[in-house]
Amino acid sequence: MKNIKAGIGFRKDFAEEFLSGPVLQPDFVELAPENWMKIGGFWKKKLNQLAEMYPITSHGLSLSVGSPETLDFNFLKDVKAFLKEYNVEVYSEHLSFSKCDNAHLYDLLPIPFREDAIKHVAERIKQVQDFLERQIAIENVSYYTPVAAEMDEATFISRIAEEANCLLLLDVNNVYVNAFNHNYNAKSFIEKLPLERVAYIHMAGHTKVAPDLIIDTHGEAIIDPVYELFEWTLEHIESVPVLLERDFNIPEMDDLQNELSHLKAIMTKKWAATESAKSTKQHLEKIH
Amino acid sequence: MELKTETYQQQSNLAKYCRDGKEIEIKGIKTERLPHYRRLVFNVIKNALQSTYPISYKFIEKKTWEEIVYRFFSEHKCSDPQVWRMPGEFYHFCKDQNYAEKYNLPFLNDLLFFEWLEVELYMMEDQTFPEIKNPLFKLDKRVAINPEHKIIKLEFPVHLMNPLEATQKKGDFFVLLFREPGVDRIQFIELSVLYTFLVENMVSTTKSPEEIFTDILYIFGINNIELLRKETTKFLEELQKKGFILGESDD
Repeated sequence: MKNIKAGIGFRKDFAEEFLSGPVLQPDFVELAPENWMKIGGFWKKKLNQLAEMYPITSHGLSLSVGSPETLDFNFLKDVKAFLKEYNVEVYSEHLSFSKCDNAHLYDLLPIPFREDAIKHVAERIKQVQDFLERQIAIENVSYYTPVAAEMDEATFISRIAEEANCLLLLDVNNVYVNAFNHNYNAKSFIEKLPLERVAYIHMAGHTKVAPDLIIDTHGEAIIDPVYELFEWTLEHIESVPVLLERDFNIPEMDDLQNELSHLKAIMTKKWAATESAKSTKQHLEKIH
Repeated sequence: MELKTETYQQQSNLAKYCRDGKEIEIKGIKTERLPHYRRLVFNVIKNALQSTYPISYKFIEKKTWEEIVYRFFSEHKCSDPQVWRMPGEFYHFCKDQNYAEKYNLPFLNDLLFFEWLEVELYMMEDQTFPEIKNPLFKLDKRVAINPEHKIIKLEFPVHLMNPLEATQKKGDFFVLLFREPGVDRIQFIELSVLYTFLVENMVSTTKSPEEIFTDILYIFGINNIELLRKETTKFLEELQKKGFILGESDD
């Protein structure tokens, strides 16, 4: 099906095997612009090779939309150039902060779920969208403890998406992780989100480190309950690209392809009928 | 700023804790889960530094390395959004803090500098290569040089031997590092003072090697120009084989 697309997060750890082998066959690849922009030499060549083979989507790490300080427009300028150079259609970022007091932390920290933070973050996302001249998608992140929260997470995310008029990247694994860690119902959480804004989905594995705590490691295969939540989620949204993230503990390419095929089978099962109806409608409109 | 001071303070406290691991107060936090954030954030830093500085990591006592890394992350505000560039800030921090002396590691500045340059050159944006008139260089014509290079001066020969041995051989060591065209490997070659002078002049002026010889004869007090021509030709041929000299410049 034309609009059913499953991609893979591109990692240097498996670049050679992926680019030179026939096993892993995603519809697109995703990469973090921070790791690939303003570089040359060997990895630039690999990036160009990748771009010739697959469409690229970008998922940022360092923009830090939740930071208290002002945005780094020099960084955004480089991101904008990168998105243009590689014809990147989807650019997403995390709803978190990775920089504070002008110090980068290179990891994702939870923003306090508060009214003033909604205004602040929404305003920053609007600035980013204006600068990049495109809508961006914001990802629900996994978090292990709330920070000075005054509302629930779903309200926080929904309000920001509405106020910033941005898209959502729904990370189904993160919903599962947060529901487990904070003892809420994953499906009810998803139902509260503005699902018409979902433009992209992430799927990944995680690691249970304590009886009551899961860490979002992207270092394991996706588990069945997350597949089940994914399948349920697809019934509530229109078809969007789905990405498999695997950042650590990289398995054989066959295993990654199997996960990708499994995701695609679920997508086809859930979305094929809708896609087919859409295509018939378009065809009829064309002849009349 | 829409953000209230109190909200900012909660974020700042969390970030500070991730950087230094010292106890903080944050409203509504699940205290027992906080160390996971510190661990996850600090692991990114430790892993990036370890992979950029494998030799330093190997030869510096583990406890000292960990203390230096801890001090770097807690005291320094990492400014680059690209994590692969963060180790460059680590080198400058260690140098500015004079850790070579504080931790009695005389080789530290040179070794970190050398290891960082290898990474920086390997990753650097592609430079525009000069036009070539002839693939073979001539001594009386301007030589085309690979622009993806650095010439550095070291106090200890950390490029040749392990840093503990290098500490015993203090001196002036000039090293040319460059990215080999096509294969993108980083090559390095030690230069004598005379050849450093020659290469630096070939890079920064429009002079041909023959024109630079005039200065060399005067500065280095050399009388035998034929021997200089012969030896320099061999040296430049070697640099051409390795991909630093590209041929005769079209300029």
